[in-house]
Amino acid sequence: MKSNKRMVKDNIFKHILLVSAVLGGLMIAFIFVFIFIKAWGVLSVSGLGFITETGFSEQIRDSYYLAAGEQTWFFGTKGLFIATLLTTAGALLLAVPLGIGTAVIVCEFSHRAIARMLSSVIRLLASIPSIIYGLIGLMVVVPYIKDSFISPELQIQYLYDPIMRMQLSGKSLLAGIIVLGIMIMPILTALTVDAIKAVPKSYKEAGLGLGISHWRVVTKILLPAAKSGLFAGIILAAGRGIGEAIALSMVSGGISNVPQVAHGGVFFLTPVLTLASAIVNKSEAMSVAAIESALFSCGVVLILTSMLFSLSTRLVERAVKMK
Amino acid sequence: MRLKLFQDSVMKTLCYFAAVMTVAVCLGIILYLVIKGFDQLSPDFIMTEPNPTFSQDNAGGILTPIVGTLLLTFIGTLLAFPWGLSSALYYTFYAKKGKLRDTLSTAIDILAGVPTIVIAIFGLAVFTNPFWGFLSSRVEGVEGISKAFGRSFWVAGITMGIMILPYIIKTCAEALKAVPPSYIEASYALGADKRQSLLRVVIPAAKNGIITSVILGMGRIVGDTAIVWLTLGGTLRMTGLQPWYSPENWPSTLQNTGSTLTSYIFYTSPAGEGNMPSVAFGASLVLIVIIIVLHIITDYISSLGKLRDEE
Repeated sequence: MKSNKRMVKDNIFKHILLVSAVLGGLMIAFIFVFIFIKAWGVLSVSGLGFITETGFSEQIRDSYYLAAGEQTWFFGTKGLFIATLLTTAGALLLAVPLGIGTAVIVCEFSHRAIARMLSSVIRLLASIPSIIYGLIGLMVVVPYIKDSFISPELQIQYLYDPIMRMQLSGKSLLAGIIVLGIMIMPILTALTVDAIKAVPKSYKEAGLGLGISHWRVVTKILLPAAKSGLFAGIILAAGRGIGEAIALSMVSGGISNVPQVAHGGVFFLTPVLTLASAIVNKSEAMSVAAIESALFSCGVVLILTSMLFSLSTRLVERAVKMK
Repeated sequence: MRLKLFQDSVMKTLCYFAAVMTVAVCLGIILYLVIKGFDQLSPDFIMTEPNPTFSQDNAGGILTPIVGTLLLTFIGTLLAFPWGLSSALYYTFYAKKGKLRDTLSTAIDILAGVPTIVIAIFGLAVFTNPFWGFLSSRVEGVEGISKAFGRSFWVAGITMGIMILPYIIKTCAEALKAVPPSYIEASYALGADKRQSLLRVVIPAAKNGIITSVILGMGRIVGDTAIVWLTLGGTLRMTGLQPWYSPENWPSTLQNTGSTLTSYIFYTSPAGEGNMPSVAFGASLVLIVIIIVLHIITDYISSLGKLRDEE
């Protein structure tokens, strides 16, 4: 009798665990469905135009001021896509060399105590909230860009620019790239350190035993062996960059411009808006149904990208295990 | 040969440069916050409520943002910890290798990669449904359309819980996996069943890892802004019945909006409406101190684990 009761308890316990695990696993499906339902209004009207047309900021403004019946449900987020790609790619260009360089020093070329201090500093940097990066970006990076690159003449010139009128304030693509780059560098460094440390010691010893210099061992043996870990880290950092909303909404300008190559260096000074920061930036207009749906559409795009990224890191990891 | 050696040394110097840059940026950020925020810090700043005003002297302090941060951390952890730990137990000790386990762990991985802003709008989409009206306040529509407001401490806390769930599951699963199988075998040999072995042997053995995982989750809640901004709203003060701190008003406080340190910083930074960077720096300093303290605690706990292993 007693053992029977125990079995029942054991069974109940098991089923509680099963339910919580399944609920946790289903969460992503819930998230997708809920967001997709709200996004459908805009996605069904805009179709492919959602990614091939521009003018998101103007469409938001128009929807906000028009009466409920007259709003357009058409939104074009080409500018947001381009800005998201540019900020993330630029941040990676900045962060990958710095991150890998730092990781190499931490793993191979520093005294143990210094290495420990460095990795502690890196982990601390990785856990600094994005709002603080945003605040410092806004108080330091943006004024710096404004003072060193933007003169009043340039501002006036671009207010009447024939290709695209814009107000240069220092909040720009460049500020976004710098802030995002500093933000993702510690994550990248930490993951690279892990990847290098995961390479079997015998590889390094074999290299050193052959009389290869320590530096060559690092570049020709350790880094290539850690390649897949490096890729996984870069994908993760890119995912973080694409999804970063707060810091970018503070420093990147908040207007859905498409930076023009014809502008030369001003390309980088263009105020831009990324997909994630659009949701924060325009959240106050969410009471308008069309705008709400447009912002949820940005959410759908973000979920799909992050899914793609997670799946590809899994593939990279699996490929390594197969090897 | 010479040229190659030269190239090597140039590259190596660049690496050192990168490392120095990293440290300089970190120290720079913290020093900058300390310098800018220290003047602002005083018992008064921490113990008074914020006051929406244009005058710097009457701006008040950050009492309610600190309380808000604590509330969200508490609610979020309370939801995510039991949920995450029991899921981790299932993955580690019950799920058979196969399709179900693969699908579930892929789903958790994807959830971990979803940007918090997306989770924030998910929270908003779910909790504006009138069914969940008891968690926030109901908005009575004009033509009988009832809609919940969808912004409150409950809503934001629950959304935070969902945000940290995948991290808690992953880190708890790692901690559980690190328990040597011999422990469980010994427990079985003594006649315990699986449930007893897990609850009395495995979980206590993985205690340090589990605590670390919870603290890391708390750190994520403390630092998140996107979820707060969308699901708690942009109000500085507690908007429930006043005074918010007296126990009979707690339910109302939790059903209404407020602020946390992060949303306070966003609000008072030049990006928000307040535009009072000096108080924003004060709040940032408090925020970073909280983060550093959480960091030191996890370091301490993991050093405890190492000491035990070496014995």
